[in-house]
Amino acid sequence: MCADDEVSLLVIVVDVNPIWWGQQAQREPEFTLSKCLDAVMVVGNSHMAMARTNKLAVIASHCQDSHFLFPSKSWRGADNGGDDASSSGDGKYELLSVANNLIAEEIRNVMSKSEYKGNSTETLLAGSLAKALCSGQEMKSRILVIKAAEDCARQYMNFMNVIFAAQKQNILIDACVLDSDSGLLQQACDITGGLYLKIPQKVALGQYLLWVFLPDLEQRSQLVLPPPAHVDYRAACFCHRNLIEIGYVCSVCLSIFCNFSPICTTCETAFKIQLPQMVKPKKKKLKQPT
Amino acid sequence: MDEEPERAKRWEGGYERTWEVLKEDESGSLKATVEEILFQSKRRRVIESHEQVRLGMMRHLYVVIDCSRSMDDQDLKPNRLTSSLKLLEAFVGEYFDQNPISQVGIITTKNKRAEKLTDLSGNPKKHIDALKKAVDSVCAGEPSLYNSLNLAVQSLKHMPGHTSREILIILSSLTTCDPANIYELIKTLKSLKVRVSVIGLSAEVRVCTVLTRETGGLYHVILDESHFKELLMMHVKPPPFDLETPSTTPFLETQICLSLGGYFCPQCHAKYTELPVECKVCGLTLVSAPHLARSFHHLFPLQAFTENSVEEHQGDRFCQACQGELKDKTIFTCTSCQSVFCMECDLFIHDSLHCCPCCIHSQIGP
Repeated sequence: MCADDEVSLLVIVVDVNPIWWGQQAQREPEFTLSKCLDAVMVVGNSHMAMARTNKLAVIASHCQDSHFLFPSKSWRGADNGGDDASSSGDGKYELLSVANNLIAEEIRNVMSKSEYKGNSTETLLAGSLAKALCSGQEMKSRILVIKAAEDCARQYMNFMNVIFAAQKQNILIDACVLDSDSGLLQQACDITGGLYLKIPQKVALGQYLLWVFLPDLEQRSQLVLPPPAHVDYRAACFCHRNLIEIGYVCSVCLSIFCNFSPICTTCETAFKIQLPQMVKPKKKKLKQPT
Repeated sequence: MDEEPERAKRWEGGYERTWEVLKEDESGSLKATVEEILFQSKRRRVIESHEQVRLGMMRHLYVVIDCSRSMDDQDLKPNRLTSSLKLLEAFVGEYFDQNPISQVGIITTKNKRAEKLTDLSGNPKKHIDALKKAVDSVCAGEPSLYNSLNLAVQSLKHMPGHTSREILIILSSLTTCDPANIYELIKTLKSLKVRVSVIGLSAEVRVCTVLTRETGGLYHVILDESHFKELLMMHVKPPPFDLETPSTTPFLETQICLSLGGYFCPQCHAKYTELPVECKVCGLTLVSAPHLARSFHHLFPLQAFTENSVEEHQGDRFCQACQGELKDKTIFTCTSCQSVFCMECDLFIHDSLHCCPCCIHSQIGP
């Protein structure tokens, strides 16, 4: 058990890509975005109920932006005590009902008001993770990512920067994947020491979240949790975007190529090929007769 | 010797009225001035150069530690040697964090001789263990600059041309005992393109000034322990790539392959427990993609944010990264996306994150 006054923050990053969720509602009507958020609220409430000093933050990751669902700016600014509208009347701990109401209200705002241009089906998780890291600076924290849509290849570098920053701050990144496997999140979980799980049945999301992701680091050593996934650390070459095992790396800009070429296309450094040394014939010195 | 730019020594300059920096406010407290000084020192680190300079990513660095009698001095607590070794452990950790595909070796010098503590390698644990054990060693005799430089150069001269060859000397003694003319060795170092930097613990020594000036390194003398730490951390950042020498073999064949429990070289299937490493069987350098990714932030540095006062800001009084209220007097604005951040987030973004959380949403990375 951790010390009584130790603050522990859980940041839940939910992927609310409207295109994926829209298609999902048609594929499987039993599991929609609202069911997913119900499960998120359950695990958020459970985390806050575990200890008085536990804190929660929820971030919705949209196609081109990310929003804090909880705590929201309006809640922070308002008076914390004496809010009659929030008491639910069923004896529930006030903080939990306030949190649930706020999350529900904010997600409605986000989904109805957000505009997006283009038809990309990818969510930019790197931005949400960066905001999560900034908010969890002074306290012990961990991040739980619930991912729906596919990876966005454009965000590779920013994603890696975020992962290394999290590793330096000792912040765990856990990932709960609903649909397709994500190489980036597998790397994130491997590097920071978190858990990666692809859920076989989406309707049981709440159960998986409570069983696997609710316990924190100290408690995980006592449990038997899903084994770590095999992570593919191969890099993609810059010319064809194929995953390669052996390649050439420019020592100036670190771009990876699958074939040797005399000029690096990224930084335009010209390279010299080391030719075998020419051996000069040795001239024998004639010994002078003494 | 060639002409050197004569810096004015401190006693040659005019009087500095350092007491005028401190100003009291109406109640007689110095709190505001102290906070201002701390704030400026934090910002100084962030504002340093962000120009697009080509940096040498693959570095071979030898650290030479003076273990002579003068290291027993107690002006650094508990004595100079223990304090230096402790700071070097932190340095090694930070160095491999910022330069994952580089190598470090450690040399100690005492009793007019030089000895290798650890060979050039990319494994931080080995160096940290060796540094921990060295705390018990006895400080005796005089150091030898010539012997330690010679020993370092023996390995460095075989390193390929596209990597940077560096030596960092921690020198506490004011004397050195050399078997031959050190100025000849300095000429050799210059021709081999070895960059030597010195951190002095006692005072400025002329031979070090010449050594660092000729080889293009940095020479500083510490003021106290925190200054020592700052000077060490200055050497963690990769030095600018030497543009005058075209690299001989800048392409390295690398591999990126692994399996559970160990890593297999894709060419010869030799097994290794950790990366990065150079395969002993076929000579291939083995790295994994995250190692290269760690160095990306040196290639694409983040621009410094502009400072504004909080009263001028029209929008919400909330930091867009941590959602906290903007309590400080100054706020920071990103030049590309105009989002505002508080001071802690600004420091975190520039020190660890290396990317603006709001720009990520609109950026198309490489």
